[in-house]
Amino acid sequence: MGRTLIAKEMRAHLLSFRFLASLVILFVLVVLTAVVLTGDYVRKLDEYSGRQAEIDRYLRSYAHFNRIQNVLQPAQPPIPFLALVRGLTADVNMEAFDDDPLPVMFPLIDLTFIVTILMSLIALILTYDAVSGEKEEGTLKLMLANSVPRSKIILAKVAGAGLTLVGPMLVSLAAGMLVIILHPRVGWTGVDWGALGLIVVGAVLYGGVFCLIGILVSSVHRSSASSIMTSLFVWTLLVLIVPNLSPYVASFLSPAPSRIKVARETARLTDVDRDDLGSKLMAEYQGQVLKDYPVLAERLSEAEVKRRVAEDPDYRKAFEANRAASERAWAEANRIQGAKAGELTEDLRRKEEAQTGLARAISMVSPLADFAYLATDLSSTGTRNQVHFGRLSRLWGQAFYRDYRTKKVEDLRAKDPTADAWNTPIDMTDAPRFRYVEEGLAGRVRAALPPFAVLLGACVVLFAAAYVSFIRYDVR
Amino acid sequence: MTWTVARKEIVSNLLSYKFFIVLLLMVLLVATSLFIMHRDFSGRVADYQLIRPEPGEPIAVVPPNPLSIFAKGLENAMTRSFEVGVTGIEVRAGQASGNIIYAFFPAPDFLYIVRVVLSLVALLFGFDQISREREQGTLKLLLSGPVSRAQVLLGKWLGNFLSLALPFLLVTLLGTAILLFDPDVRFTAGQLGRLGLILALALLYLAFFLSLGMLVSALTRRSATSVIVLLFVWALLVFVLPNLGTLVSRQFVHVPSVRALSEKREQTWTREVLLGIGRGANWADHMRAISQENDRMVEDYRLKFERLVRLSRNINRLSPAASLLDAATEIAGTGIGEEIRLKGEVVRYKNAIIDDIIADRAAGKREARYQAFAYRPRPLAEIFAAGALFDMAWLAVFNVLVFALAYAGFVRYDVR
Repeated sequence: MGRTLIAKEMRAHLLSFRFLASLVILFVLVVLTAVVLTGDYVRKLDEYSGRQAEIDRYLRSYAHFNRIQNVLQPAQPPIPFLALVRGLTADVNMEAFDDDPLPVMFPLIDLTFIVTILMSLIALILTYDAVSGEKEEGTLKLMLANSVPRSKIILAKVAGAGLTLVGPMLVSLAAGMLVIILHPRVGWTGVDWGALGLIVVGAVLYGGVFCLIGILVSSVHRSSASSIMTSLFVWTLLVLIVPNLSPYVASFLSPAPSRIKVARETARLTDVDRDDLGSKLMAEYQGQVLKDYPVLAERLSEAEVKRRVAEDPDYRKAFEANRAASERAWAEANRIQGAKAGELTEDLRRKEEAQTGLARAISMVSPLADFAYLATDLSSTGTRNQVHFGRLSRLWGQAFYRDYRTKKVEDLRAKDPTADAWNTPIDMTDAPRFRYVEEGLAGRVRAALPPFAVLLGACVVLFAAAYVSFIRYDVR
Repeated sequence: MTWTVARKEIVSNLLSYKFFIVLLLMVLLVATSLFIMHRDFSGRVADYQLIRPEPGEPIAVVPPNPLSIFAKGLENAMTRSFEVGVTGIEVRAGQASGNIIYAFFPAPDFLYIVRVVLSLVALLFGFDQISREREQGTLKLLLSGPVSRAQVLLGKWLGNFLSLALPFLLVTLLGTAILLFDPDVRFTAGQLGRLGLILALALLYLAFFLSLGMLVSALTRRSATSVIVLLFVWALLVFVLPNLGTLVSRQFVHVPSVRALSEKREQTWTREVLLGIGRGANWADHMRAISQENDRMVEDYRLKFERLVRLSRNINRLSPAASLLDAATEIAGTGIGEEIRLKGEVVRYKNAIIDDIIADRAAGKREARYQAFAYRPRPLAEIFAAGALFDMAWLAVFNVLVFALAYAGFVRYDVR
């Protein structure tokens, strides 16, 4: 019986104008964005390798430890998933003078957009008159006159709408994927397929939520004209309003100090205040060294010092003690002031994290935000990936600055103790290079679990509500 | 006669469930949006008090623009502080928040509400004007009276436009009046005029969607079909076309990425500093070299970027939503054109003082004072000439065109 009902629902949908229109729109848009975004991805690849080559060329001529921090920055290479999901990778960058404001004005469209806006609209269009429409046509009475339980009817309506929705989505996604993987320069791996599969599951759940909303609304209203109004009202709130309001509401409920203010204070602490403290400590420590090595009191030219360090072992000892004292003083000053500044930044970080968490929680009321989070996290284009990238950068920073640089500086000093290790050209071809590796699928799935759970929970609750409301529906 | 039809429409709207929902949505959204964007603006004002340059400091900062409450646009980019140093312009105090959720969704300002939500509402007012009356059989009755089809259509348009526009204007004006209580939000007379223009643009835009709804309704036999067609057309016009324009224009104009530019800057800087140390040569010359190389880069980027903006803007004009966004942000003074001009002014300011800065630093003078940066937003005439007037006229043409088509459709409509 259930099968017959589902078949009837699907047949009714498949023959309808709305189904045809949905299929055409989805298909055209998915293929179009796949083509455009694949081209964009390939261009990004070229640009990235060009940038890396530039850095390499640069390092060959100007590798000095004191001056490479700014040139040797870890950079995220484009990943193949960018051809489907753009996520947070848009090239906005407010830190630079030459920014690119176009994505701020016109956020780019991608698979996330197609699913969140179009699929939800299609889901509502398919279902807004599921119950009220049949009532208006009088077929609901006829159906119930047979020995069909209401629970089966509502279940068949949900399943029929869901299946009808999944069809066009899968067909157009398959066409889009064909465009992407047939491009010779896109390397789509097994992990990518896994992530894509999970994103599709998420999309099905997302579509399901809106099918259920449509059915619920239609089983509350007597006429489909008012049912479409309510459906669109709910849709507007959930899709267009709640996510956009959430960060602003969160900043209201859980305020964080302005970054500008904190930056001002930390800058003062680690710059002017540190210099004062450092000079004071250096005078103090070097004064003690001078007591032990009175030979240092002599005023000598730089060349003279170099000569005496090389010839006179006693003077060399004194020279090294003096340098150690100065280094100790500055390290101490850096530590004290750094700790003060660190406290401030830590407080800022904590508050911002609390605010972000709250904004995320509020926005997760909206299925759109849930899907956006799970799609971006699964495709490594979201917040999870930013954390992951930060971790990789830190690891590389340790390998480079703590291990590699220290070793090189020691080597250099062993050869020539007066050498200025920071401003001497050094062959850095053996330096550890930053390599970006996408996070494993397990971690990404873990990050995507909460939005999945919310979507699933919403499905269950909405189904229960639709069921109850249909049981009580007056079919006359 | 037209007026009678219009009155009938208004009365039937007032009694309908649709009107109730729409009114709720409008009041809720406009009020919330103004409240929230006002708080956002206050945060920027507080930040401005901190980063505002002392007299003599070579820093360019413009105060926050109160019209950004209505159309935020690129306000975040424009209220950054641009500090002129020996190597050129450095951006300080960017990104006001670490809350990443801001980056996920566009800001819900007044313009967003009009562009996305109220356009949908306007469609809902128009979508069943003709097909529903046919379904109910009242169209036949209406036309059997001494009234022409043109009058019916005009009356319907007028009645629905008024039932949409009056509550909208009322809520907006009320919200604006409440905003005026805040001493930070000091609208000058000119800004109030600009706000009026933005409202006029918004009304033109909403009228377009109302006419579009009536057009589709005059072309379809059933209102169920008409709503489906309209929802898809709406999604295409509001979301897809504006973004596709940007993507397509990027295929033709290759603009280096922001990241590539900043890497290039660092490389130039490092090279010159190292050369300076290596040769022990004149420091000021190296600084000049850095600044000149950066200038060349910025100039090249700006030329390309302006080409990109022009092209994408022209493609985007196919969509009234993009026209509205461009024109309204430009009029508010938070648009792309204004940002480009601000940056041009900052570059000019830098050029005026950088030689002095380099000379002073080379001489070891620490407490030197420089002229202050002054920025006057573009006057309206210039904004209009730069494209806002075209956008406005374009919206009006869209309106007339769609209404004429609706008329043509309605004249040929089989009322049975």
